[in-house]
Amino acid sequence: MMHELPVSAYTSQEWFDLEQKHIFSKTWQFAGLVEDVANPGDYVSVQAGLNNIFIVKGRDHRLRAFHNMCRHRGTQLLRAVGKAQKAITCPYHDWTYNLEGKLVSIPKKEEEFPDLCDKELHDCGLNLHEASVDIFKGMLFVHPEKNAPNIMEFFGEVAPYLGPHIPEELIEYKEKKQAPFYTKEINANWKIIVENYIDQYHLAHLHEGTLNMYDHAKAEFGWAGSHYHFYEPLVPAYLADIKNASPYPLMDKMPDDKMGAYVPWLFPNIGITESESAWNTFHAIPLAPDRTLVVIRSKTMNVSEWEYTKQYTKSMASSVWKTMGNKGKYEGEASDPMASGDFMLEDVYACEQQQKSLSSPLFSVGAQAKKGEFAVSKFQSVVKEWIENHQD
Amino acid sequence: MSEFHQLKVLEVIKETEDSTSISFKVPQELYETFNYKPGQYLTLRFTINTEDVRRSYSLCSSPVIGEPLCIGVKRVKDGLVSNHINNNIKVGDLVEVMKPDGRFFADVKKENYKTYYLFSAGSGITPILSILKTVLFTEEHSYVHMIYGNRSEDSIMFKNTLDKLQENYKERFILEYTLSRPKSSWSDLWKTSKEQTYRKGRVDTAAINWFLEEYPPYAQNAEYYICGPGTMIENTTKALKSIDVPDERIFIESFGGSNLKDTTEAFENAQLIAKLDGETINTIIPKGKTVLRTLIDAGKEPPYSCEAGVCSTCRCKIKSGKVHMKINLALTDQEVEQGYILSCQSIPLSNQVEVVYT
Ligand SMILES: Cc1cc2nc3c(=O)[nH]c(=O)nc-3n(C[C@H](O)[C@H](O)[C@H](O)COP(=O)(O)OP(=O)(O)OC[C@H]3O[C@@H](n4cnc5c(N)ncnc54)[C@H](O)[C@@H]3O)c2cc1C
Ligand code: FES
Ligand SMILES: [Fe+2]
Repeated sequence: MMHELPVSAYTSQEWFDLEQKHIFSKTWQFAGLVEDVANPGDYVSVQAGLNNIFIVKGRDHRLRAFHNMCRHRGTQLLRAVGKAQKAITCPYHDWTYNLEGKLVSIPKKEEEFPDLCDKELHDCGLNLHEASVDIFKGMLFVHPEKNAPNIMEFFGEVAPYLGPHIPEELIEYKEKKQAPFYTKEINANWKIIVENYIDQYHLAHLHEGTLNMYDHAKAEFGWAGSHYHFYEPLVPAYLADIKNASPYPLMDKMPDDKMGAYVPWLFPNIGITESESAWNTFHAIPLAPDRTLVVIRSKTMNVSEWEYTKQYTKSMASSVWKTMGNKGKYEGEASDPMASGDFMLEDVYACEQQQKSLSSPLFSVGAQAKKGEFAVSKFQSVVKEWIENHQD
Repeated sequence: MSEFHQLKVLEVIKETEDSTSISFKVPQELYETFNYKPGQYLTLRFTINTEDVRRSYSLCSSPVIGEPLCIGVKRVKDGLVSNHINNNIKVGDLVEVMKPDGRFFADVKKENYKTYYLFSAGSGITPILSILKTVLFTEEHSYVHMIYGNRSEDSIMFKNTLDKLQENYKERFILEYTLSRPKSSWSDLWKTSKEQTYRKGRVDTAAINWFLEEYPPYAQNAEYYICGPGTMIENTTKALKSIDVPDERIFIESFGGSNLKDTTEAFENAQLIAKLDGETINTIIPKGKTVLRTLIDAGKEPPYSCEAGVCSTCRCKIKSGKVHMKINLALTDQEVEQGYILSCQSIPLSNQVEVVYT
C-alpha cells in the first residue's frame, strides 16, 4: 500500500483508466491562462480526461465551451489554438456551427437529409454538446458538463490561502515563442509527482542546496476543500538583500511582511508556484500509468526589458547566490541531476527513482512523516473518494 | 388578492431636484408579507381627486441588510402620482401599499460566482440598486459591472450610496456613469471633491459595446439586467442580442409610459360584458377608457396593480370581440394567441367585447 491507495494505483492501466473516467472527466480541468483566448473568435482546445473541449470567446466577450466533436460523424473539429473564427466548420463534410454551437449549415441538406428538412437546423438536436468554462485566479478551467458545479464551490475554500499575485496583470515569460516555459515527460505516475510537490519534509533534504533561500522551518501548510495550501517565507539573509538579489523584478502585490513562496496544489492536477518574483502554473498531465507530462508556464511583472536587465545585473552581483539556490546535493558533473544545482531536476530524479521501485515485490511505504508528509495520504484519500463515490 | 396594507412613512429624502426616496415602516406582523426579492416592486394606492389610482414603484432597498423598505420616485411631467408623492408625502403619513411582487429579480445566493451586468438610466436605478446591494453583500465571489446613464451630474439618483459602494467593493464592483448632457466644464472648477470622470453619451449601442469590451466578464456565468426608459431598454437589448448574448441571460424591467404616441382609435361606446368574481357585468366603455377603468368606474373591483402593462395582474381572457392593447410588456405571444389580454391596456375595436377574469 501507498498509505491510502494500493501500489497498483501507480502502475496499472486499470487504475489509469478509472482515474481518467472518474477524476479527470468529472472535475474542473486546467485549460490555460485567460490571455490565451483574448479576442472574440479566439479559441483553444484541450484534452480534459476523456473529453476534448474547446473554449471560444463570443462577441460579447464571454467564453463558451463545447465538446470538440462534430455531431455528424464525431470528427474532432478544431485544432489546438486559433484566431478569429466566425463559424466552425468540420473538415470532413463541412457541417458548420456558429460560435453558439448551433448547427447552421449542412451541404446538400435537402437531397441527403430529407428528414431534417421540415425543421430549422438548430432545432434538429444536432448542435454541439455544451460544456462549461470559467476563470479562477487568471486561469481557464473547463468542465465537461453543461451545468457544471460552480467552480467557486470547488476552489472557494483554498482561495484565501493563495498568494496576493494578480496573474492577469503579469506577462508570460517564454524562451521560445509559442512554447511554454518548461515541458518535460517524466517517467512516473502523476500521483508520484503530486505527492512530491506537496511533500514539505523533502525540501530541506533533497533540495538542501537549491531551495535554501526559503525558510522551510517556518512553512505554513494544510488542506482546504480538496486542495493543498503552502506558504513559506524567505530566509533572513535573502530577505535582507531581496531588492538586489531577486532574479526578476519583485511582485508589486507582495506585502513586505509576507514575502515568500505560496505553493498550493489544486485537485486533481494543477499546482501553482507563486513566489516573490514569479508566478507559475505546474500542470501534471497523465500520459500512461508510469508517464506524466509536466507543463510549466511562468509569468513575471509587466515591466520594461530594461527593468529586467537591471534586476538581473543586480541579482548576479548579490552575494546571496554564493551560498544559496544553486548548489547540488552531490559533487559531480552538471549533467547529473543531483549535482546540477537545479531543484526541478532533483525532483524529477526523485520521482523517477521512486517509480522504479514500485514493481519490486518488496516495495512498501515504511512510515509517514506526521507533519511534513501529512498531505501525501490526504491527497491519496481524496483520489480514493473520487473513484469510490463516482463508480457505479 | 390585491390586498392593501397601511404602512407608515419613516423617512422622506429629496434625492435630486426632481426625485424623492420614501422609506416605510413595516409592522412585525407583516414582515412575512413584505418579504421581497431584490428587483421587485411595491404597488401604492392613492385617492387623488376622488379617483382611485395605483402605481408601482421598485424597491431600491436591499432585503438582506436590515434596512427599511424604500422606493425612489422621480417626477414625470404632468404625472399624477409621481408629483403627488414628490409634493405631498411626509414622515408619519400612512400610505396604502400592496405586498412586493414582480418577476424581475436576481436569485442571489451566497455561493454564486457570477458577473452581473447592470444597465440603468434615470429612475431605472431603483431595482438595479437593490440587486447591486444584495449581490455585493451576499455573493462574496461575484462581480458587478454597472453603467448608469443620466442627463447631467445633478440628476444622478443615489449617487452617494453608489460612490460609497464603489469605494467599499473596489475589487468586485465597476461603476461607470454616462451623461447625455453634462454641465459645461467651467462649473466644475468650484468643486473641491476629488476628480470624477464621466463618460459622455447615452446608454446606447456604442456605450454597450465599449463597456463590454472594456470590462469583459471575469466569472463566466454572466447575467444582464436592464431597467430604464423605453428607448434605453430597446437599445440595450438590441445591442446585447446583436453580439450574441443569449436571451435567457437578459432580464428586463420596464416602467411603462411609452412616449410613442399610440394612434389606434377605439370603437366608441362599445358594449362590455365582463365575468368577474361570479358576477356578470354589462356596461358601456366610455371614450378613452380601458376595460379595466370602465369596471373600476362602475364601482367594481377588478384585480390590477401597475396599470402600466407590466405586471399582468389585470389579465383576463377575451371571449368575443376585439381589443387593442396600448402596451403589453407582460404577456407572451403564446398567451396573446390564447386570447389573454391586459385589461388595463385594452381599448375596444368592436362594438361588443366579452371578457372573463379567472
Ligand atoms: C413595475 C414598475 C416599477 C416602477 N418603478 C418605478 C420607480 O422605482 N420609480 C419611479 O419613479 N417610477 C417607477 N415606475 C413608474 C410609475 O409606476 C409611474 O408610472 C410613474 O411614476 C408615472 O406615474 P404618474 O401618475 O406620475 O404619471 P401619469 O399621470 O400616469 O402619466 C403622465 C404622463 O406621463 C407618461 N408616463 C407615465 N409613466 C411614465 C414613465 N415611467 N416614464 C415616462 N413617461 C411616463 C404617461 O404616458 C402620461 O403621458 C414603475 C412602473 C412599473 C410598472
Ligand atoms: S395592471 Fe399591471 S399589467 Fe395591467
Ligand atoms: Fe521538490
